[in-house]
Amino acid sequence: MEFINKRTIKLDKIMNELDKFILEFIKILEKHTDYVVVSGYVSILFGRARATEDIDILIKRLNKEKLSRLYNDLKKHGYWCLNTDNFNKIYSYLDDKLAVRFALKNETIPNVEVKFANNRLAREALKDTLDVMTKLGKIKISSIERQIAVKRYYLKSDKDLEDAKHLEELFKEHIDKSKINEYKKIIQNEMA
Amino acid sequence: MSIKKLFKMKWLKPGNNNNRDRMNFVKYWADYVRTHPDDLWSKQQNVLIDSQISGARRFKHSPKKYLKIKNEPYS
Repeated sequence: MEFINKRTIKLDKIMNELDKFILEFIKILEKHTDYVVVSGYVSILFGRARATEDIDILIKRLNKEKLSRLYNDLKKHGYWCLNTDNFNKIYSYLDDKLAVRFALKNETIPNVEVKFANNRLAREALKDTLDVMTKLGKIKISSIERQIAVKRYYLKSDKDLEDAKHLEELFKEHIDKSKINEYKKIIQNEMA
Repeated sequence: MSIKKLFKMKWLKPGNNNNRDRMNFVKYWADYVRTHPDDLWSKQQNVLIDSQISGARRFKHSPKKYLKIKNEPYS
């Protein structure tokens, strides 16, 4: 992998089933809204030796009409929502700051956990992104510093701390530690 | 020349408890990913990821059962 510039990483990995799954989903999603991939899959994309059953995506808040267009497009391309087949409920879950999951029809794993960017941290994550150029297309991820801070100071499970360590070791020549501290303070303020 | 010398790899340090041992491996593997070509590490990682997905596709949960395990809403 190499940094093409400060906001773009070229990744020459052999794509796995999870990578292919998310790239297909993103092709539909990005026609309708801005998005950013966050959390565990970011570490996995960059080689972390663990599997996952879901990929977390934050999207810009959509009104009912726009979300309906996205939902219909997903259905047309063979996806279903695991939480309900009632569109009004999907909208209501998202509006209530809950995540909804989409998988390929008749499957549950892998799935994409979609959430509106509802708080300050999430809204900032949508703006602070990196483009990862893979052999099969582009994936927009949250910045590495932000990922490390969220995993280490907000999520904090063993798995999250290991994900943070993986990213920190892997990108040690590129990350800005002062940014991690800055995000740490924002997270602590949000949690207070 | 051995592959370890070729890519200047470090040795994996054993930990004195499970957490330390796991964290040592995370550092070791991240170092491997950082110092090796993408196709070399991804080939190994894909064994893990692809097998999980193919297993999940063979033994399907219904959304209701899956979300119950996750303690998430279903209607």
